[in-house]
Amino acid sequence: MATHEEITESLTVFTDGYNKNGRLKIMNRDWDRVVVVQATDIDSLHTLTLVDGVVSLKEGAAGNPDLTVISDSETLADIFYGDITPTEPYNNGTLRIIGTEDDIIRLDFISLMIWGE
Amino acid sequence: MQFKKVLTLRTIVATSAGLTLASSSFVAAVSVAGFVLGDTAWIAILVGGLLCFLAAFCFSELNGLLPSAAGIRLYFSRAFNDRVSLTVSILYMLVVIVGVVGAESYIISSVLTGVMPAVPPYIWIVLMLLLVTGMNIRGIKIAGLFQDIITYGLMFSMLVFGLIALFKTNFHFNAPFSPGGATGIISAVAVGVFLFVGFEWVTPLAEEVTHNRQISRGMMIALGVLSVIYAIFTTAMTATVPKEILAASAAPHLAFARATLGGVGVTWMTVVSLAATVTTFNAGLISVSRFMYATAREHALPQIFSKISLRYLTPWVSILTLFLVGLIVSGVILLTHRYLVLVHLAAAMESLVYVLAGLAVIKLRRRMPEQERPFRIPFGNLVPALTMLVFTVLALAVLVTSPWVLVNLAVAFLVVLIYVNTAVPYLKKKYQARRPAARRRPLRGTDGAEGN
Repeated sequence: MATHEEITESLTVFTDGYNKNGRLKIMNRDWDRVVVVQATDIDSLHTLTLVDGVVSLKEGAAGNPDLTVISDSETLADIFYGDITPTEPYNNGTLRIIGTEDDIIRLDFISLMIWGE
Repeated sequence: MQFKKVLTLRTIVATSAGLTLASSSFVAAVSVAGFVLGDTAWIAILVGGLLCFLAAFCFSELNGLLPSAAGIRLYFSRAFNDRVSLTVSILYMLVVIVGVVGAESYIISSVLTGVMPAVPPYIWIVLMLLLVTGMNIRGIKIAGLFQDIITYGLMFSMLVFGLIALFKTNFHFNAPFSPGGATGIISAVAVGVFLFVGFEWVTPLAEEVTHNRQISRGMMIALGVLSVIYAIFTTAMTATVPKEILAASAAPHLAFARATLGGVGVTWMTVVSLAATVTTFNAGLISVSRFMYATAREHALPQIFSKISLRYLTPWVSILTLFLVGLIVSGVILLTHRYLVLVHLAAAMESLVYVLAGLAVIKLRRRMPEQERPFRIPFGNLVPALTMLVFTVLALAVLVTSPWVLVNLAVAFLVVLIYVNTAVPYLKKKYQARRPAARRRPLRGTDGAEGN
């Protein structure tokens, strides 16, 4: 089981990786979204906010998210560190994402562009 | 937390119905009529629709239990195992894309050649595929209000056309309850199922609704409305134009339109057919290209299929591959004229997926008994068991009456099975070898301290 701090660290690494990628920022300049990341086995909530192509991270949940990423703490930490792709846990049901199919795919594109395959 | 984007029931019904409405539906309707006597096709269509309700119940329970855009990939992975799920999903996508693109392009090219005979049919096919491929690469999706307008417009047109024809022919049922022998009825119902193929493809929208039951309700309403519309339209077609003439044409709805409303009817029906084909192509290519992308992302297809366009954010390699597959399949069908084989192939495959959906409901009730189910089918395992039984019989009916379908499906199944058991482990092994040796995530000591 990962800790809340580990998830925070993984999301920080993810956020830094994203913000260092100029292409991603251009790609998402019109994609303003609020993404809540929620662990199922520990008390851990984070919010990623994308505005004008730039992403920021804060602890706690936003009230009106576009996407909610739900999984156990281990899976979340592994995904945001880029050690596993989101597709496998998504296809076997370990990872759940509440949001439109288009937004879910876009989130996966972002992860692909930060971490590669 | 409150979720922002919410789909309305109107859009869910339109999406479910829209995925089933295609130009090949008209050919399937004529095929249904050919298996039964007189003007009794409506019985087979209503029974086919009713039987699809059984499958809809199963998908409703599965969708409530495991709401995900991954759909059957997730249901079957949890109910059986990952290998079975991957095999069935790849086979399903393969049959759908070959069936839909092959049959649809052949039929729409026949429609357009009927209107403009100077243009060769293959040109129409290439143009259609280019249009939809361009839309897909640009990320243009026919959805929301636009999808609603097209789908409700199509249903309204079919209903009005059917009623006008019945009125004009002063239609009276001639032995409405004498459809003929059991074999003919079973085959008619089996092909009748094709009319509803794709209604369950609305389940990936599970994450976009506030109440899960809306998806179930939407599927049921779409099935009910489509059953009635198809029954009226098919009865009107066979009442207006002799069955033999309809069966001999790849565009029977055009012959029907001409007989009913002359030139105006032909123009109207051409527009209806074009709209049906474009929406079906668009939805089919989006779903299958995304499936290919996701499968490549889990290293079950070569990595190249996960390449995305940085400009349009779409999986362009998968889309272009489907375009090439579409060109080849359409060319083969244009040369062989065996488009009905594809219609029957899709009907058989769909029936097999419904059988597995019934089995998945039963297995998941045992494996995940405590899991919350927003929709639970009443009467225990009766409905899922009935779904399995009914669709096994229907699949067999199609396979027995169409040996080509049996051969094609068996070959496709074997190829996919070999692929999943040999190529997929190889691709996964190759990925593991390519991965960075060290994990990016720092190791944690037993005391919680980080280390390496």
